[in-house]
Amino acid sequence: MNISRKWLSDYVALDCDDQTLCDKLTMAGIEVEKVDRISTFPEEIVTARILERRPHPDSDHLSVCRVDSGSGELQIVCGAPNCDAGRVVPLAPIGTVFTTAEGEFKIKKSKLRGVESFGMMCSQKELGLGPDNSGLLILPDDTPVGVPLARLYPGDTQIEVEVTPNRPDWLSMWGIARDVSCLFDVEPKFPEIEVPECAVPAPGLVTVEDSELCPRYIGRIVRNVKIGPSPRWLAERLESVGLRPINNVVDVTNFVLMEVGQPLHDFDLDKLAGRRVVARRAHPGEKIVTLDGSELELAERHLVIADAEKPMALAGIMGGEYSGITDNTVNLLIESAVFKPANIRATSRELGISSDSSYRFERGVDFDMAETASRRAVQLILATAGGELGSEAVDVRGERPADAVIPCEFDRIRALIGVEVSNERMIEIFRKLHLGVSDITAAGCVVTAPGFRRDLSREADLAEEVARIHGLDQIPEIPVTGKRCHPASEDACAPLIALRDRVIGLGFDECVHYSIVSDSQALSDGRFERGDLITLSNPINSDAAAMRPSLFCVMTGAVERNVSRGNRDLTLFELGKVFCANPEKFPEERYELALLLTGRRHPEEFGAEGRAEYDFYDLKGAVETLLELCGLTDRRYRFESLESDRRFRPGRAARLVIDGREAGAFGEVAEPVARHWRTTAAVFIAQIDAAALLETGRGRAGYRPLALYPAVSRDVAFVAAAELEHGKVVEFIRSCRLPFLESVRLFDIFTDDRLAAEGRKSMAYSLTFRHPERTLTDVEVNVAMEKLRSKLAAGLKVELR
Amino acid sequence: MNDIIERIDAAVADAVRQAAAATSSADLEAVRVAYLGRNGLFPALSRGMGEVPPEQRRTAGQRFNTGRAEIQEALDAAGRRIAAGADAAGAIDLTLPGRRLPAGHKHPISRVADECVAIFGRMGFVAVEGPEIEDIYHNFDALNTPADHPSRDPQDTFYFPDGRILRSQTSPVQIRVMESHEPPIRIVAPGRVFRRDTPDATHGMNFHQIEGLSIDRGVSMADLKSVLQTFAREMFGEKVRIRLRPHFFPFTEPSVEYDFSCVVCGGKGCGVCKHSGYIEIAGAGMVDPAVLANVGYDPRVWSGYAFGLGIERLAMLRYRIPDLRLLYENDVRFLEQF
Repeated sequence: MNISRKWLSDYVALDCDDQTLCDKLTMAGIEVEKVDRISTFPEEIVTARILERRPHPDSDHLSVCRVDSGSGELQIVCGAPNCDAGRVVPLAPIGTVFTTAEGEFKIKKSKLRGVESFGMMCSQKELGLGPDNSGLLILPDDTPVGVPLARLYPGDTQIEVEVTPNRPDWLSMWGIARDVSCLFDVEPKFPEIEVPECAVPAPGLVTVEDSELCPRYIGRIVRNVKIGPSPRWLAERLESVGLRPINNVVDVTNFVLMEVGQPLHDFDLDKLAGRRVVARRAHPGEKIVTLDGSELELAERHLVIADAEKPMALAGIMGGEYSGITDNTVNLLIESAVFKPANIRATSRELGISSDSSYRFERGVDFDMAETASRRAVQLILATAGGELGSEAVDVRGERPADAVIPCEFDRIRALIGVEVSNERMIEIFRKLHLGVSDITAAGCVVTAPGFRRDLSREADLAEEVARIHGLDQIPEIPVTGKRCHPASEDACAPLIALRDRVIGLGFDECVHYSIVSDSQALSDGRFERGDLITLSNPINSDAAAMRPSLFCVMTGAVERNVSRGNRDLTLFELGKVFCANPEKFPEERYELALLLTGRRHPEEFGAEGRAEYDFYDLKGAVETLLELCGLTDRRYRFESLESDRRFRPGRAARLVIDGREAGAFGEVAEPVARHWRTTAAVFIAQIDAAALLETGRGRAGYRPLALYPAVSRDVAFVAAAELEHGKVVEFIRSCRLPFLESVRLFDIFTDDRLAAEGRKSMAYSLTFRHPERTLTDVEVNVAMEKLRSKLAAGLKVELR
Repeated sequence: MNDIIERIDAAVADAVRQAAAATSSADLEAVRVAYLGRNGLFPALSRGMGEVPPEQRRTAGQRFNTGRAEIQEALDAAGRRIAAGADAAGAIDLTLPGRRLPAGHKHPISRVADECVAIFGRMGFVAVEGPEIEDIYHNFDALNTPADHPSRDPQDTFYFPDGRILRSQTSPVQIRVMESHEPPIRIVAPGRVFRRDTPDATHGMNFHQIEGLSIDRGVSMADLKSVLQTFAREMFGEKVRIRLRPHFFPFTEPSVEYDFSCVVCGGKGCGVCKHSGYIEIAGAGMVDPAVLANVGYDPRVWSGYAFGLGIERLAMLRYRIPDLRLLYENDVRFLEQF
């Protein structure tokens, strides 16, 4: 919505600067988006007095003038006949830039027929202040010299405001003026609307078939108008709010719309079959060509204004091209109606047509304003296009919506807004907003909201009016009384934040991806089938149609994007929600954690370590460390080999089982998934159900006494078959039940060409023994080791070294 | 007599030579132990002093003392040499990269969200969550959104075939908490929300909000303003001031939008605040009586406020990130800046 300051001043006297006006508007809820100074001439132009006029030595029509510009004397060559000494005129000094339809031109120092000139004196037309180009614009003799011309001809300020949907009354100058008058505490003046009496009956002029969609329709006939250009004041008003003048009748219609907020429509009466209008639902398949030239096929849900035969306008939205005003129009039917907002909004959205009219009808117009607007339009059309009123007002109306009657208590309003506003001040605010106030007691009053304030119906709405007008900046800052109302156990975020912080602590960089992915991206996680996906009815495009079923499919995208940009060393994770439609597989929404490793472990390091790349055991180690940090002991989880999971390379993946339940999987990403990535490094991804980590994350740590006696360590090394698993060895050693064995640790595993050729490998373990109550002797430990060596040789068929 | 003196001379010569040859402090310590240690050569010589004829004892004693001092001096000199030499030999190049411990980076969205949760946590707000796939009732109806409100339009909100939606705001969490809890209530609800926007510099298909709700007896707009002002100070510094402007939302009455004085220029006016001195942050207001009634709270007894915050917006302001898409590209060069 554009406001013209000059136009606004017709109704409310303003003597503040633009900034103050804009600040007040914004702080009253009429948010100023943009402010444009509108002037028809450049701001450099000043007043100047002509001191002397001499004829040009080399020209009959030019004069050479000496001019006082306020900041010095200038010589200016002038072609105007009236550049007489003593006159005060507008002067464009050197450097002034004029913007014209042909482009910009700049005043420069120049020579006219050999005489230097330092500026230009201007005519009314050159300044855009009027049509007169016969000579210089002559200013009053007592005009001070050297002041900006803008002070004499202030121009206008166009203010673009954002109007919230609850205040359709602000979509008009009158509505804005009402609030401005309250904000600046000045009485608004609205124009007297006088319309000649006319009692000519017009039976059948207006028929309303659907009074639900059209609660009020006022038709008036004006005969013998003369279509032509608008008078200057009218054209200027429209231009000042960004509308293009068209002709006097149409311009009046638009003027009234902007002035009072009521959209009007003019029909050429002689083009209406039967010379009448019907507000009715469209017949199925009926067509209309709107003013903008598009043909629309209509249905019963659309309201039209028809003549005796066919639709002439899409009610409240746009007129049809048959019945519009042309230069030849003589007789008018002026429509001022009220339409049901929901229907206008639905139709406008469905057909993709909106207009200044539909914008206002969607938000709701004032039932009473329809009559005011109709009279205003007639008044202005008679004044600008001539003619005479041709009929009485045909007013087909349903029941007027009742005004809201709102009892309120002053104390409750004060308590809600937290400001000490006196009862009297509240009553004053209500009255200045043109609300009815009655039944005033010490405790409260009754407020009646007029038709242009349908947004007011409850005490809280009145509290807002008080807060808004009294000033939100009056609300004091008070101490925050922040008592907790909920136990910390209900804090849903703390465990997630803690988990995320743990993963970051392990050296992973956090990613955040969109939740919506393409179908094919979603299905790249082979655990899901199409039926498992939750898909949108109205995706933006097919690349974003499904809710991500796992983080696997977004993490692979992160690899692709980073690698394509040359970032090959990645240590990434994401903790986020994933979605599944199949309750047998997963809950609909759950948190998942994904870890990703690829490229070099420590690219910042020098030497061999800096070249070492991540392998499977790095990922497994990260998972193990994380499980430990989450309070899970290795007794509660295990890894199972994972075959036939399309995400991972066969034989390079594992399933994570926590407390007997599958909780995730990890491994090296399968070749078909990674094929088109521009990296040769293996990519490792882990995906873990976050709930499995969160549920176990608390209070697991506990004190165990520290050992008092020293431990004794012994090593054992052997050559074993390549297939022998480390886990089997540990299990076997444990099964030997060596006395006081505390721990078993693999410290080397080694294969050279010879061993490899034989299908063997060398393994070396360190065993730690400790007695809880005394120091073990070498002899005791040696006996145990001898026992172990013989059992290893026999039980695991290894060759001891 | 010459015998003892010669032995002392020989021992001193050996010790000085060995000290000079020592290349480590351990070597040097071995020399010290061998000559001056409790079982070393010098104490042994000292014990042999008894056999020296009395007339020579004085000379021998003097030589013994000077000899011991010579050795000590040689040891000290060697010690200094070794200390200096060790530095020279194993000299550290301070410009070489250190062997770093792993340090991951928290995404700016998480950094800001966690900080918000922490700040409001200090003001007694407990963080709760709600589903992202939401029903119309919780996202719109219960929040007093008119049946034909444009935000419900499939142009703006993502729908599923079963009629549910991706929540367009975190406000439905308010409703869920009020449905399941008796007042008083004091919660924040951070989370992901969805709008049907094509991603550009300031829009994405999803973004993050944090919602706050406080319901109690006698809660006023002054409480709301104070909580937001406290948040502004803790988030952006002591000097940041807050400004409330009237606005309209279906679920609050009175409704406001709130601005922070520009966190870049401090309110003097700059490009970031478009020379207004203020930066628009988000919406807030007193919970609409209709919303309270929808969850069965008596609006004559209970009042409260609700506010929202856009996490991406705060992150972009705080870290001067010019384009929202950077937050979702997950380029590791970006992630490692935080």
